[in-house]
Amino acid sequence: MENDKKTMNFLTAKNRLNKSKTHWIGLFLGFMLFFALPLLVQSNHYILQVFTHALLLAALALAWDLLGASGSISLGHAAFFGAGAYASALLGLDLGLSPWATIPLAGLIATGLGLIMGLICLRLRGAYFALATLAFVEIPWVITDNWDSLTRGSLGLVGISGLPSIRIHGFHVDFGSSIVVSYYLIFAYFMILLGLVAFVHQSNIGLALQAIREEEIAAEAVGIHVNGYRLLSLLMSAFFTGVCGACYAHLVRYIEPGLVYGLHFSAVPMIFAICGGRLTILGPAVAAMVLYPMDQFVFHPLLPAGHEFLYGAVLILAMLFMPNGFWGRLRNAS
Amino acid sequence: MWSMIFVSSLSLGSFYTLVALGFALIFGVTRNFNLAHGELVVLAGYVSYWLWKMWAFPFILTFPAAVLVSLVICLGLERLFARLHEPLALNSIVLSFGVAVVIQNSMLFLFSGNYRLIRIPVLSRGFHLPGLYISYTQITLLGSSLIILFLLYMLMYRTYLGKAMRATIQDKDAAAMAGINVSAMGTLAFCIGALLIGLAGPLYGCIHYLYPSSGQEATLVAVTITIFAGVGRLSGIILAGWILGLAESFTVVFFGVSWREMVSAVLLLALLYFRPHGILGHGER
Repeated sequence: MENDKKTMNFLTAKNRLNKSKTHWIGLFLGFMLFFALPLLVQSNHYILQVFTHALLLAALALAWDLLGASGSISLGHAAFFGAGAYASALLGLDLGLSPWATIPLAGLIATGLGLIMGLICLRLRGAYFALATLAFVEIPWVITDNWDSLTRGSLGLVGISGLPSIRIHGFHVDFGSSIVVSYYLIFAYFMILLGLVAFVHQSNIGLALQAIREEEIAAEAVGIHVNGYRLLSLLMSAFFTGVCGACYAHLVRYIEPGLVYGLHFSAVPMIFAICGGRLTILGPAVAAMVLYPMDQFVFHPLLPAGHEFLYGAVLILAMLFMPNGFWGRLRNAS
Repeated sequence: MWSMIFVSSLSLGSFYTLVALGFALIFGVTRNFNLAHGELVVLAGYVSYWLWKMWAFPFILTFPAAVLVSLVICLGLERLFARLHEPLALNSIVLSFGVAVVIQNSMLFLFSGNYRLIRIPVLSRGFHLPGLYISYTQITLLGSSLIILFLLYMLMYRTYLGKAMRATIQDKDAAAMAGINVSAMGTLAFCIGALLIGLAGPLYGCIHYLYPSSGQEATLVAVTITIFAGVGRLSGIILAGWILGLAESFTVVFFGVSWREMVSAVLLLALLYFRPHGILGHGER
């Protein structure tokens, strides 16, 4: 009996080792594929643009899932995205700061908004938390819409500077100059965020969040500061969502309240995370890399109006048939 | 001037009650949050607009068509909700959010993104009373909302069926033990909810521009009123509707039209902040 258990343990351990090996190989191949993508598509502007946005949305889904890891579902991440986009654009336009400074500052401003949201919403759980976040987006949105002297109101902002450039000893790369370099900058941000999310997941924070997600009362009983960790995950999530919004503003160079605060940027990261697998690290990113190009290359030409139909349909299917997302299902099956 | 503001917020508030009723009933009986509620109201409005504009239907005759469309969709929605796992409330929010995205994009495809308004010439006229002016639109909104509320009240409090439904709202398990067919009550709640949505939609199209993403606002109104009133209290729902109507009117008077959209959101957040366990109270989730 004891022996059997040991063999079992050994087998699962070996299995896990093999699995993690394939995992690393897959990750490496994926990295190489995206690294070489500009060469593969011969710098085709449209395809690269779609994949730049896909990487940005993948980063957004990862940032959303930092909060998702605590078991909360947010329907209002557009609040942070929009605040980040507006903060970075306005700091650049009005104070003339370089995007290198405004993008992290935008993240901090989004974090401040996250703190406000946390104070209001963190006492809520489950469905009521989700409803509160849904309502919360309206506040920064309506304020941005009405504070004409600062934000130019509903007209939106034009003339936002492009992505920043690097100058070190004669070495000069301007990330806004062409789509290829923009692609690499967003790719670098995505890889950094992915590494960070993986680190958080295996750290004590990740363990605490998992405990809170599985059984909050038990987590509290073993001494985990439940609301502290939930606030921490919300703030991290808000910061990186704000940075995503700032990158978006400099990438597109035109923003308006309805664009950055609208339903789209609340819905899309949640849909990617849930379809990909809310409890996995890579799932949300993979879902973004599959669904967004599918939407742009297949559904957009077919249905110019209403192509985002796809996202809703995929979310419904995932909720009914794959509650753990397709990445989670793949992992359980293998 | 104050009496006019009062009358307009009363009619608006009664209409908000009508918008919220379907949502509240479905939530009360089945504990499913239907975030596609606003989209369904707007869709019913579009059906009415389309029949009225393209085929020159009399406005009154568009109501049955709107009810029929929302009935078909709500019954489909009920089948979807029935397949969800626990936690039911949260999963129903996510699922219906997906449904809302699907309906929004279908409306964008079918009716385009242009702003539409149902303009009935008769309704834009009105009459003077000493000190105030009342338009027929306000009378229609107030009258139809109160009549529908009264009929629903009679159904819920004066019939055996209504008693069974109220029992299901109060305690599903106990109701099932008493021999009430709880799942049939759920289906019935979706049917009545669809009827209410179908009646609210065309009226919504008379006072508010229809565009594919306008449903979000109606959803937020319905959620706010339902959370305010608590489950299964019709009188609470009327009161909540009137308070929301008054709050919106006063915001428009003091701050301007553009701040109106924030009113229901702020009210909802304040409600949730002070009643963190939500509507059910007593620490139950």
